[in-house]
Amino acid sequence: MKKKLVSVLLTAAMGASLLVGCGSDAAETVTDTAETVSETAADAASAVQEVAETVAEEAANVDPAAYDGKEVKVWVAENVVDFTNEQIENFKTAYPQYAGVNFTVEPVGEGDAAGNMITDVTAGADVFGFAQDQLTRLVTAGALEEVNPDFLADVEAANSAGVVEAGKVGGTLYAYPMTADNGYFLYYDKSVVTDPSTLEGILEQCEAAGKNFYIDMTGWYQVAFFFGTGCELTYDTDPDGNFTKCNVDYASDKGLVALKEMIEVASSSAYQAGSSAGDAVNYAAIIDGTWDAGTVKEVLGDNYACAKLPTFTGSDGQTYQMSGFNGCKLLGVKPQEDEDKLQICDDLAYYLTSEEVQLARFKAVEWGPSNLNAQASSEVKANEALSALAEQFAYTIPQGNYPGDYWSRAESLAGDVKDAFQKASDDDLKAALEAYQADLESYAK
Amino acid sequence: MAKTNKGQKRKNALAQFFSVLGNDLKEIGLTFKEGDFKTRISFMIFGFGSLLRGLWLRGLTLLAVEAGLLYFIFSFGWTYLSKLGTLGTIATTKQGRKTVYGDNSFLILLFGLLALFAVVAFIAVWRINVRVSRTEQIILRDGRKLPTNGDDFKSLFDSNFDKTLLALPVTGVFVFTVLPIVFMICVAFTNYDANHQPPSNLFTWVGVENFHDLFSFGTAGFGGTFVTVLTWTLVWAFFATFIDYFLGIAVAMLINKKGIKFKKLWRTILVVTIAVPQFVSLLYVSKLFANDGLINGYLLKWGLIDQAIQFWVNPTLAKITIIVVNIWIGIPYMMLIATGLLMNIPEDLYESARIDGATSWQMFLHITLPYMLFVTGPFLLTQYTGNLNNFNVIFLLTQGQPKTGNLVGGAGRTDLLITWLYKMTINDTNYRMAAVIGIMVFIVTAGISLVVYNLLPSVKDEEGFQ
Amino acid sequence: MANNTNPGSMKRKRAIGNAITYVLLIIISIIWLFPYFGLLMASFRSFDPAIEYGGVVDYIIPHTFSLDNYKFLFNGENNYPKWYLNTLIISFAASFINTCIVLCVSYALSRMRFTGRTFLMRFWLVLGMFPGFLTMICLYFLLKQLGLTQAGAVPGLILVYIASSGMGYYVCKGYFDTIPKALDEAARIDGASRARVFFQMIIPMAKPIIIYTALVAFMGPWCDYVFASYIAFGHDASYNVAVAMQRWMVVGDYQGYFTRFCAGGIVVAVPITLLFMFLQKYYVEGVTGGAVKG
Repeated sequence: MKKKLVSVLLTAAMGASLLVGCGSDAAETVTDTAETVSETAADAASAVQEVAETVAEEAANVDPAAYDGKEVKVWVAENVVDFTNEQIENFKTAYPQYAGVNFTVEPVGEGDAAGNMITDVTAGADVFGFAQDQLTRLVTAGALEEVNPDFLADVEAANSAGVVEAGKVGGTLYAYPMTADNGYFLYYDKSVVTDPSTLEGILEQCEAAGKNFYIDMTGWYQVAFFFGTGCELTYDTDPDGNFTKCNVDYASDKGLVALKEMIEVASSSAYQAGSSAGDAVNYAAIIDGTWDAGTVKEVLGDNYACAKLPTFTGSDGQTYQMSGFNGCKLLGVKPQEDEDKLQICDDLAYYLTSEEVQLARFKAVEWGPSNLNAQASSEVKANEALSALAEQFAYTIPQGNYPGDYWSRAESLAGDVKDAFQKASDDDLKAALEAYQADLESYAK
Repeated sequence: MAKTNKGQKRKNALAQFFSVLGNDLKEIGLTFKEGDFKTRISFMIFGFGSLLRGLWLRGLTLLAVEAGLLYFIFSFGWTYLSKLGTLGTIATTKQGRKTVYGDNSFLILLFGLLALFAVVAFIAVWRINVRVSRTEQIILRDGRKLPTNGDDFKSLFDSNFDKTLLALPVTGVFVFTVLPIVFMICVAFTNYDANHQPPSNLFTWVGVENFHDLFSFGTAGFGGTFVTVLTWTLVWAFFATFIDYFLGIAVAMLINKKGIKFKKLWRTILVVTIAVPQFVSLLYVSKLFANDGLINGYLLKWGLIDQAIQFWVNPTLAKITIIVVNIWIGIPYMMLIATGLLMNIPEDLYESARIDGATSWQMFLHITLPYMLFVTGPFLLTQYTGNLNNFNVIFLLTQGQPKTGNLVGGAGRTDLLITWLYKMTINDTNYRMAAVIGIMVFIVTAGISLVVYNLLPSVKDEEGFQ
Repeated sequence: MANNTNPGSMKRKRAIGNAITYVLLIIISIIWLFPYFGLLMASFRSFDPAIEYGGVVDYIIPHTFSLDNYKFLFNGENNYPKWYLNTLIISFAASFINTCIVLCVSYALSRMRFTGRTFLMRFWLVLGMFPGFLTMICLYFLLKQLGLTQAGAVPGLILVYIASSGMGYYVCKGYFDTIPKALDEAARIDGASRARVFFQMIIPMAKPIIIYTALVAFMGPWCDYVFASYIAFGHDASYNVAVAMQRWMVVGDYQGYFTRFCAGGIVVAVPITLLFMFLQKYYVEGVTGGAVKG
């Protein structure tokens, strides 16, 4: 457990080494950052030490041979498989009692992980990464164990508040926050879009240049419009992951403004549905997340630029800032029938989401950390996509729990926006919004 | 007339079944009554009589089967079979941080059914055993000679060769097709869905509630969606079958035309579509027609259109596009089939028509088409039912998109019943509704097959064209 | 031109007709081959950012031709060779066993008369009308009980593909029905057992149908995605090509894998296309026979 302390010290030292390494111009800013880092680090250090002590005590009570030969399966996205393998080696050094444990890492993406876990929990991974929208589904299916109470205080203190909230169902934290970059913002081509601040402007310039503007309108993205005009959509859950109440006001004037804006955007000849840079062609702007930064950079080259989402002028003449979700990727531990194995899994999940591993992961694959100290590091701050995201996050709401039916129903609305709603009257739209709201409410019992 | 006949037939069949059953029971009783101690003990110990009569091959086989089945039923099956009525009652609990799983409803249902199958098999083998013993006894009583073990063994490759050949395939079908189907039919009467997911949660029997859901026509009911999806499924299968059929024949006639060279080349070009895996080719085609796909891209570039054609977005257009793309897939099969069949049409039919001054269109209409329709009637029927369940084309092209708020259960406008139920199991783990829809698919497929099959001219009149 | 004699006009008519036919055939060929042409071209587009781009683009011919995608498949960076091998093993094994089973069933149903024969045929016909996907989860847990999922998915999949192959006897039985029974009877009078008739007479005569059955049985597993993904999930080393490659297109973690997908697809398509070209004759025979028998 000393490793934990060492690593905190290392972070502080890193700031110092940067001081030495950088030229005098940058020295001042770096000093600032270094100071913040070491201050926060010092705060966190005491918390970490407490945890370290409890864990060390427990570890002392258990015969290390109890762990030998246990199999622990880990599922992560393919691009971090090698990284995770390296970190597991480090983990074994940090926790020598687990030297005899067999860890296997399989590439199962965040999208597939939840579905596969639910199909057969017993054959699923013991520790697995997933995106936040799957949380309740996994809890309902009994595929997630609560976060170890020994780590709870530390995890809550070390990560940004919104992210911790995102890992909770009915007040219980079910998973370890791994990233805080699950949100979207605008990538654009500087040579085409000169002013990325208004939606109308972007569309106009894309149309004029014969370029595409990719914007998704499925459940995760359409809230950018609805929340932008001030609508609300949240669900309350009980500890078992059942939805008890839906707070929604889509069937309102605000909702109508948002829907009409979506319809208008979809009627543009520049509009393309989609949010996956690898499948997008001939675009000058795309609303996407940090995970596609590399791909977009590759396509746009020197004209690559990022910004927060634009504002739009609604049908009522008012200007609204596009909103959205801010969410995270989480690392979950499966319920175990064997307490020793659970201990290994908890320790591993805790380790893989710790500050230094988050920072290392950022360096390896540019995943934005959820750990406050890691977020404060200068490299993270210098990342263009992450800063745009951070800027956008000021206008978004933390993504809570949504029933699986929501995503499916929202996709249906997106289908109608592109097609049936294009020629619909205001009354039709109002009726559609009412039906939509009624459906959303029906998912909570 | 035909209907009453059939009704009578069915009644007769039922009566026949019961009389067979009655006779069988009578015979069993008789066997016991008239049986010597060897036969009587065989009622309990399979193959006992055969063993004592020196026929150890069949005796041991029967005994081994009995032992195996009993072992399976009591060591493995019983724990599940006993809970089949409730599908488990012990919930999953926590002891400290450790999870203690309770009953697993899924495995109870699955292995309970398997055990039930084993019990049925046990009864069947028991019946065979009783009959074998009686036959042996009668042969001995009549003073005839029993077959030797060698005869028994040899018969497996001669008079009983069918049993040797079919044993494995039939078992395979029972375990891997019949059992799962019975299982899924059972699931339609349970509440097995995302909220009742084993091993953490139990599910249980709910009667016909799911069928009520399917036929409830409220806003959240499945009724409206089911009717919409079913209609599109039927329409799709109709167009997919007949357009491909006629165009396939047309292309085959083009290639077969006298004086056309490189016939093999043309055929091979078309056949490539059959060979290249659809998960590759259809995925590419799906991207080809996308709003930002190559087709729209080039049309826009050349200035032929100024708005992308909404191939996959507009529901009507999406349906048409699917049918058109399916032509691309379907023609090669039909072309191959038609090529073979066209050659079978007697040339003198055409000759005499030509002498009568018929145009080639008239010849097609009055000779080729009737012949083809007659010969390929049953094939068209299987094509049609196949298209009802044509998963690949829809799933790889549109995944059921575009979606709309008017349909519930995650269904899209181009979803067939089969893709809809697939999405239900994979995305929503809503097994209970998927099972109900599966049963509906079966009813539709079987219903259409039954009705059309009896209307087919080639079935009614077997000698028709000869 | 002026020479409008009857045979001349007939000839000209036929020439025009043929010309139209050729034009039609050429157009059809272009339409049919275009997607493959596009696939092939995309597979030659490099995914290396220094050269070109691996995602979807709006042009067909790559700016520079490269073999990067093919190199990627086989340079050990991923499990492609392993996936390919899995697919080969599964398909060959399934095809071989499937063919054997179909031959056995067809012979029994075509040549032998036993109680329950018609019942068996009708029962199987009805079973075939149930949608197979429904039973996936059930098969998964059956196989799991035998340890044939995930790590054991390759033999597990073989078992799934062959288990119910008996139900696909239709075409083959139809073919056996056309072989005159008198031949069997003559042999049986000479003292040959049923087994001998089957192995030494019927099978050698059934070459076309054996090839057809094997080919069809090979293609199913070769392209299967649905069952394979369901049974092998979470275990990279037992995926088949379809499952592994489908991830490149649908899972968000893989951006810009389009060209690699195309290259992988071409590598999958080549052997089966060649197989098809050589065995086309038998395939046509089987398909036609099947169609007429219905």
